[in-house]
Amino acid sequence: MENSIYGTHRPELERDMAWLEKEVGKIRGELKNTLGMDPIEHILARIKTEESMREKCRRNGLPETPESALVTIHDAIGLRIVCAFVDDIYAIRNRIRALPDVTVVLEKDYIRHAKPNGYRSYHMILQLSDGHYAEIQLRTISMDTWAALEHHMKYKQDTGPQTGLIIHELKRCADELASTDLSMQTIRDMIQDANAEQTDPISDQKNRS
Amino acid sequence: MKLLLAEDTADLNRALTAILAHEGYAVDSVFDGEDALLHIQTDSYDVIILDIMMPKMDGITVLRSARNLNILTPVLLLTAKSEIDDRVDGLDAGADDYLTKPFSMKELLARVRALTRRGTSYHPDDIRYRDASLRSESFELVCENTVRLSVKEFELLQTFMLNPGRTIETSFLIGHIWNGEPEATPDTVNLYVSFLRRKLRSVSSQIEISGDEEQGYVLE
Repeated sequence: MENSIYGTHRPELERDMAWLEKEVGKIRGELKNTLGMDPIEHILARIKTEESMREKCRRNGLPETPESALVTIHDAIGLRIVCAFVDDIYAIRNRIRALPDVTVVLEKDYIRHAKPNGYRSYHMILQLSDGHYAEIQLRTISMDTWAALEHHMKYKQDTGPQTGLIIHELKRCADELASTDLSMQTIRDMIQDANAEQTDPISDQKNRS
Repeated sequence: MKLLLAEDTADLNRALTAILAHEGYAVDSVFDGEDALLHIQTDSYDVIILDIMMPKMDGITVLRSARNLNILTPVLLLTAKSEIDDRVDGLDAGADDYLTKPFSMKELLARVRALTRRGTSYHPDDIRYRDASLRSESFELVCENTVRLSVKEFELLQTFMLNPGRTIETSFLIGHIWNGEPEATPDTVNLYVSFLRRKLRSVSSQIEISGDEEQGYVLE
């Protein structure tokens, strides 16, 4: 790969990605202990392919150079963390913020403020100790499902007169899924409260007396 | 089928109660307007029969107060005389039907049967309270963000938003939102209130629902 858009930096990117995956794995293990359940459904990690990085440079009017790919553009390394519940996203976010040797450059909460089309996700841009950037996307399973379908839609612009209807209905689905996510979270909290009460010795005594 | 009968003439009240009970309805009978409104606020009925001329609070005031609470139960008004103004006021206040005294029991029963066949409909307008709005066309809760509510969540929040600052009893909510379904318990109401609390937070609204299943709930 003499003419890689990443120049000679690809091995560094791979090391960085592996390090991030390892750190997120540690966070996952810790949360698993405190929550009593795995907060992460799955993790996807990738280095942006040559073609799509070059395409992104062209789309943004940037020269196709390592400078553009590694300094101007911040998602050469990408990690998508798909969680079971909404609160887990914020728990993981807090721990990523606290990672050693990592600077959080930018955060965008598209969960609190969904994009007009209904897209929901939590985005973080990190700068690692060697100066490289990584983008982390945190979302729930249903946010991920929605994004997958919406992504598919984007590449089928030929839906003709139905486009408006489809966009409107996708937004409706996004708002319904968000609502369901919150209901599921509320039910999990209720189950955890019930479990906590059962194992709490003080309330045990109260129940007995 | 459960009916509320508000009629201050003791003999007529007793006779109507006996006949309606004989027809198989469960009847709560009261003798003044205040008591009627109290029953309407705490219990739920399939049909409400209100006399207009009653001590403490007249039937039209009771009806108006109930409609202000978004209680859409069908109401049959009993008017003492065939005063056109009374009938017009009653219908404008939200009555579904009226009957002029003296009436035949046969006709009363037929009108009650007709009203029990009628479903209640939604409050048609969008509601705004403080920083949030509730859209009745789409069941959307909108503030900084939007979520779409389920039917029960929507009806529950609508009841709260139409009655801010007022304590609403759990039994009232079970009767009106869950129509007294046997599976609906105070825990059900509490869970749905928890859903709404979280969804209000998720759209960054300042509105809060305080209280619990024992004390009732208040929207603040």
